[in-house]
Parts: sequence; structure tokens; C-alpha cells
Amino acid sequence: MVTVNGQQESGAVGQTITDFLNKRDAPIDNIVVERNGDIIHRADFDHVKISENDKLELISFVGGG
Amino acid sequence: MQEPVVQGMSYEQVYQGMKERNVKDSTDKLTKAHVTIAGAGGLGSNIAIALTRIGVGHLTLIDFDSIELSNLNRQQFKLSQVGMPKVVALKQNLQEFNPFIEIKTKQVEVTHDNVKELFADADIITEAFDNPAAKAMLLDAASEFYPDKPIVMGTGMAGIHSSNTITTKHPRPNLYIAGDGTSKGAEGLMAPRVMIAAGHEANMVTRLILGEKEI
Repeated sequence: MVTVNGQQESGAVGQTITDFLNKRDAPIDNIVVERNGDIIHRADFDHVKISENDKLELISFVGGG
Repeated sequence: MQEPVVQGMSYEQVYQGMKERNVKDSTDKLTKAHVTIAGAGGLGSNIAIALTRIGVGHLTLIDFDSIELSNLNRQQFKLSQVGMPKVVALKQNLQEFNPFIEIKTKQVEVTHDNVKELFADADIITEAFDNPAAKAMLLDAASEFYPDKPIVMGTGMAGIHSSNTITTKHPRPNLYIAGDGTSKGAEGLMAPRVMIAAGHEANMVTRLILGEKEI
């Protein structure tokens, strides 16, 4: 199990950040991902894999300013 | 050296007037602060005006774009400025409010490759982009190059939803995000609600300069 924005989820362990976001249909370019308190830099999305008990926060941005 | 006089006013006169209404003992701290604002549109132009009026001493304005008629429903420019680079026009307008602050302008697009250079002298990074990918890029890059600098951002200020759905959040150390978090620009963006979000950002910047780190 992992925690995503405070909600428990199963099935994400072992996925890369890119795969995880794509499977959620999340707009990957508009999201900053924090894992266990640290921001995972965009350049690392393809190779960082989600581990059991990770706490993920997806910080999403919408257009307008 | 003789004290400069701009538009008939000396520095002393302008700051005496400002100090009469600024919060007690805030002005000297504000005068020393350096705030860099990324984006000079609906958010950025309003944030810059608010910070100029209270005497924030050093501003850097960054925007690659020029003014179009469709900007004028929310951005603090004039009909006479259509076609001008936004940073040039905004500096002109700010100098009419306070000619004694230092304003640097950079007409460039912010990318991951230039974040390190563009924000090197900022005490506080202020995000005021329209594009959501640019917002995410700046947070990503700022957290890489300047993890100890506060970054104040905006997301979700479109439409005519309740004013009271716009809040400031503090999701991690040094990160502050104003907005409703959900309303997208395609709904339409209008001055009243964009100015609320800009006010949130500007007030958070002010609080940070004056040592208040909580939302």
C-alpha cells in the first residue's frame, strides 16, 4: 500500500512515477510529485520507482494567471 | 549629494507618507527585501503593484510576452501600452507609484535551464504564470536550486466562483500556494477574482518579508 494525497492505494508499488501518473490520466507536465517529504525532480520521473509505504503528494497546477 | 526629486516629490516625502499608513516598523524591512516575480500578467502585475505601494525595495519582473488587448480585462496595463513588452510597461506604471524602488526587468521565458541564474538574488520567489506546466516547472527547479528560498505560487482563480474558495495553503516548508486549486483558465479570467488570488500571494510575500511564516 502507498498513500496518495492522504488516501491509501494499492497497485502502485514498483511503478515508475511516469507510469503511475500516466495510469491515473494525470496531466504529467502540470504536476509536482513529493515522496516522503522530498520533491522528485522531473528528470527522475522515468526511473524512480514507488516503494511500499511511500507517502506521495501530487501538487497539481491549473492554468490561469 | 543632493536628494533626488521625482515628479516633484523627494524620497523623504514619499516614504513619510507611506510610513503613516504602513504597519508600524514594517517599512524599513520591506525596503531591504528583494522579490522576484515570474510572470507579469494578471497575477504578476497586481502583485507587483501591491508590493510597490508598500515600499518593497527591490523587484525583478520576468515575462517574455507583450501586451495584447485580451490582457486588459485583468492585467494592470493601459490601452496606450498595447504592443509593449509587459515588463517594460509594468516598470513604467510602478515608477509612477514609487520612483524610488529598484526595478529590474528580464524579458525572457523562464525554463529549467535559467531558473538558477534568474532567481539567484531573490529573497522570495513569486510565481505568477498563466501556464500550468510553467508553474510546475518553476516549483520543480526552485526546489532543486533554491530549496531554502520561500516560493509563493497561484493556482485556480478563473470563473466567477465565490471569493471565499480562494485560500492560501502551505503544503510543505517554503511553499505557499494561493487559489481555489481547481478552476481553469478556459472558464475565463477576470480582474476581480484574479486580483483576489494576487492579493493572497502579495500578502503572503509581505508576511514572509516581515517574518511571519504561517499562512
